[in-house]
Amino acid sequence: MSQVFSEILDVSLRSIYVSGFATLLSASWSIPAAYLLSLRRRVVVLEALIESLVGMPTVLLGLLLFLLLSSSGPLGFLKLLYTPQAIIIGQAILITPLIISTCYRALRGIATSYLELALSLGAGRSQAMMLVLRESAPGVAASTIMGFSRAVGELGIAMMVGGNIRGFTRVMTTAIALDVARGEFESAIILGIILLVLMIMTAISVKILMGVRAQ
Amino acid sequence: MVIELRGIWHKYPGMAAWALENISAELTSGRVILVSGHNGSGKTTLLKIAALLYRPLRGDVIVDGQSFWEMSEAEKIAARRKITYVHEKPILIRGSVLENIAYPLRIRGLDSRNVAERAEIIMKELELMELADKNAKELSTGQSQLVAIARALAVEPELILLDEPFAHLDSERSRLVAAALQERRRNGAGIVIASHGGGELPDELEPDEVIVLEEGRIRR
Repeated sequence: MSQVFSEILDVSLRSIYVSGFATLLSASWSIPAAYLLSLRRRVVVLEALIESLVGMPTVLLGLLLFLLLSSSGPLGFLKLLYTPQAIIIGQAILITPLIISTCYRALRGIATSYLELALSLGAGRSQAMMLVLRESAPGVAASTIMGFSRAVGELGIAMMVGGNIRGFTRVMTTAIALDVARGEFESAIILGIILLVLMIMTAISVKILMGVRAQ
Repeated sequence: MVIELRGIWHKYPGMAAWALENISAELTSGRVILVSGHNGSGKTTLLKIAALLYRPLRGDVIVDGQSFWEMSEAEKIAARRKITYVHEKPILIRGSVLENIAYPLRIRGLDSRNVAERAEIIMKELELMELADKNAKELSTGQSQLVAIARALAVEPELILLDEPFAHLDSERSRLVAAALQERRRNGAGIVIASHGGGELPDELEPDEVIVLEEGRIRR
């Protein structure tokens, strides 16, 4: 029994670590991209393109990454297939449109005026960007948390490029899928509850942060 | 400091009409210039171009003999740091009144002690000491306007551009601001004020020059 719980703990922590790292990685390019987008006019087509990619099926992205990372693929020499790093990269790509889209919405209304304010007070471009992000921090943080929520709950990428290797690339969603296939419903339910609690905590954090932004 | 606007034409995206048409003017230190005109006459656009925030579609903005939009990024920052601009609708950042006033000082790399000293001087001058720790988002429009003006004056700029600075201020605070601006003029700073309608300024602040705008053109 204790071994089961130890494995559940291991899988849960790995999920948080892998998806947390993927979220940070994605935020590092998605937030600046959303900032640049928010300063531009006439971005309707780009906005629509990014929004359409938010709902990209994870198995499709998993398949593309598998073909890229497999030994005969163009990036096969990196030997990343069936590693946690492959899942991190895949999840980071998956949540990029979501973070850009939600972060862009948080920045859209205020970026231009705060950029102008910062420049009018003598700020450089990077100082101005920091001010804009600081002023929209709750919205930016909420978009990042949403990204984490999407990453931790996805299955396709973790399964296809992670391989569900016990003690190495097994995360909550792949563990649940395996447990159900094996008929081990008890551990599947426990993992499902942990995943659900994590998602609910994430949603509550987003609500709180959105509330802060509205003030 | 001298800012020359040479043959400025400007239009906003999606708009058919020109916001500014062939505007030439010289804004220099030590003078008060009043930019007057009705709503939509182009006053704000003119001020934002002079504040080096908007790039005009045609024409050139010359800062101390050098074309601003041809400058390197470092030169642009240096030029912008000689100027401050106060928006018509005051924009304040998250945090207290003190943090707002400290912001332009901090980004110039001043140490905390220097920042606190200079912020205190300007807050005393504009009678804002009682509001120092108050959340900026909880201020009235008039108080916000006063804080925005204090923030712009804190760095002792060579040129101060203010868009309708007295619109939300009562007569007592208007006189306070006018006196502070007059003091800066005596110390050599240039002051450009946009004001709609009759363009009346408090008595303390007599303009040296009045530019009247009408549908984006200077009325001669």
